[in-house]
Amino acid sequence: MTELLKDMPKSLRVVFGFNQLDLSKVSGYFGVLFIYLLLMATIHATMLGATVIAKEERDKTYEFLFTKPVSRSIIVTAKLLAALTNIIIFNLVTMASSMMLLAKYSHGEAVNDEIARLMAAMFILQLLFMVIGSALAAVKKKSKKAASLATGILVFTYFLSVAIDLNDRLTGLKYFTPFKYFEAKNVMYGGGFAAVYVVISVVLIAALTTVTYVFYKNRDLNV
Amino acid sequence: MNIFLHELKAYRKSTMIWTFSLVIMMVLFMSLYSSIHADAEAFLKVLKNYPEAIRNALGFNEKNFLTVVGFYSFLLSFVTLCASLQAMNLGTSIVSKEVREKTADFLLTKPVTRSQILTAKLMGAVVSLVITNMIYFAAASFMAFQFKADDFSMKIFFLLSLTVFFVQLIFLALGMIISVIFQTIKSVLTVSLAVVFAFYFVGMFFDTSGEKVKRYFSPFKYFDTAYIIKHSSYEPSFLIAGAAITILAIAASYFIYAKRDIHAV
Amino acid sequence: MDVIEIKNLTKTYGKARGISNISFNVEEGEIFGFIGPNGAGKSTTIRILLSLIYPDSGSAAIFGKDCIQFAPEIKKNIGYLPSEVFYYDNMKVKELLNYSASFYKKDCNKRMKELADIMDLDLNKKIDDLSLGNKKKVGIVQGLLHEPKLIILDEPTSGLDPLMQQNFFELLKEENKKGATILFSSHILSEVQRLCNRVAIIKEGKIVTVEKISNLTENTYKKFKVETKAPLDATYFQISGVHNLEVKGNVTSFIFKGNINDVMKKIAGVEIMNLWIEEPDLEEIFMHYYEKEA
Repeated sequence: MTELLKDMPKSLRVVFGFNQLDLSKVSGYFGVLFIYLLLMATIHATMLGATVIAKEERDKTYEFLFTKPVSRSIIVTAKLLAALTNIIIFNLVTMASSMMLLAKYSHGEAVNDEIARLMAAMFILQLLFMVIGSALAAVKKKSKKAASLATGILVFTYFLSVAIDLNDRLTGLKYFTPFKYFEAKNVMYGGGFAAVYVVISVVLIAALTTVTYVFYKNRDLNV
Repeated sequence: MNIFLHELKAYRKSTMIWTFSLVIMMVLFMSLYSSIHADAEAFLKVLKNYPEAIRNALGFNEKNFLTVVGFYSFLLSFVTLCASLQAMNLGTSIVSKEVREKTADFLLTKPVTRSQILTAKLMGAVVSLVITNMIYFAAASFMAFQFKADDFSMKIFFLLSLTVFFVQLIFLALGMIISVIFQTIKSVLTVSLAVVFAFYFVGMFFDTSGEKVKRYFSPFKYFDTAYIIKHSSYEPSFLIAGAAITILAIAASYFIYAKRDIHAV
Repeated sequence: MDVIEIKNLTKTYGKARGISNISFNVEEGEIFGFIGPNGAGKSTTIRILLSLIYPDSGSAAIFGKDCIQFAPEIKKNIGYLPSEVFYYDNMKVKELLNYSASFYKKDCNKRMKELADIMDLDLNKKIDDLSLGNKKKVGIVQGLLHEPKLIILDEPTSGLDPLMQQNFFELLKEENKKGATILFSSHILSEVQRLCNRVAIIKEGKIVTVEKISNLTENTYKKFKVETKAPLDATYFQISGVHNLEVKGNVTSFIFKGNINDVMKKIAGVEIMNLWIEEPDLEEIFMHYYEKEA
């Protein structure tokens, strides 16, 4: 049976919901759930990144905040740090609850290493999507729309990753969707993180953080 | 009628964007069908070497194995997810938009009852969804005819596509009741993302256990594509459940909203 | 006939805010002032009249009909201007006004142009781009567009420059002459005095008094400060109606209520360097009524 599934083309496995993870092992099952955890975490991070920047204008509290004797850079730093703290808490809670839950069903299988590795991957993507959100909110004239746009980008890149699974000819596009950067099967069994994706992520995060600062500094605050 | 037209106009842009996104997504997936179909043909040959018992166990048989309708029902789950977000956004906006933009005073001091306002707004939202679905269905049938490898039943294809609209109606109603209960929703998208994805994941997890009762917990599981393909109809009990939720939520919204205090900003 | 009848109206939020047991009537054809400090319950009362919020007890009727039960029917003849105006941002002024007019099934095009002329409002601008004062103008035109029989104004003058305020008051007087009844809520005494026939004073959710403006000003104290060439005898101004008499060197100050001629005669009897007679401000009016209560 497993042999038969091995012969199955990748696209069919995606359509029928099988994958290369070993579902007989608890870590394999967790690997399947991971994509949903990842989606949740990144959506949360995106919204957080966008709203933390946009909310002053949305709630019309910007006149209060920006007439105080602090520079905009300090405000942005404080806001991003607050968002970061949230993300770290989200990540740690997910990790702790996953470990506890899996310990119950693992029958002695050591899974904590794998979970930790997956959570590290999740954290990088959380950071990435958070700064996508904040950069959009800083750049866009109507920052209220940033959250929708950033979420749109997230959903689009997720579907792109599904499409890449369906068709080998699309493999070249994998650099454009963060959801292909750290896949559960690679992170868990393939020896961890691919350097190229870590570099791409770090560069993107740094660039988008800079964009957030620069654009927010020169922004006209609108009602 | 004036509120209805005003609402429809207000939704015009978002309806266009959502419709466009749904169509693009569908087209993207459907255009992959021919290559997947080729994969399937090849795999079918491999499969022939295996005993029939295994083939049956896997649920593959030559007849339904990756027909265009089968593939369509795979991509439909993504389409439904996105379409539900659209509906939930609309439903949540119905009341909360007036509160957020502080226009409730304007509308509610006009000579119309609150029920009339809700009805007009609800109709505006439903018509937006109908338009989205009509355009989507036209595009989907066009794609299906372009890429079909074999003949397929138009009725089943239509029934499958219609499930998108039904799930949308459920989420529209849920969004409405949520926005009536929690008056000051600052970000509609946050709320609808949370609710829609929560139900989507609940559906995912319960699906693996295979118990029918658990399917009632997620509107995403009310319409089993395999059942529809097999019987050319919906499961009556889930159809009733969906209708009941929708009607109850809408009725409760009217009831609560009529007695609501509209506070100054 | 009474256009507005409010009977024992009570509405509480939490502990402190709200109104309790409010009653007063507004007669047809009058301009009725509704005055009190911030948070006294003016807006609460008005929002109940418009059935935006519902009373805990008591009732209110407009045109002789219960304002909750017959809300849509009543609202056909009401024009409302809130203290802060918010409209659909992505619409043009003209589109918003047409949308507003569409609720009353009347052709308001001509009147829209008239009102926009008077208020100096550009109909083709986007609401998004308007300043606070200009948004207020949109609110005024929107409220008067359908020639309502009852105009309810909730602190309407904030954000309007004096010239526009003048135009706006003229407009209101004009409407009043044509037969419209006006309920005018404010915390600024001078504008109420300028416009209204009668006034209800509200404080901490309770009606303190309902009076004619003429009575109110007759009844109120005036503040006097007299600077004389030589110090005065402390008892010189000790006549009936004088309170809080204070003599500091050459300056004598007191507050007075009663026939103003009596004081003027006394003042004429001494050689004065300077004289101040001041209207008491809103706070002092309230002080006056608290004293009466206590």
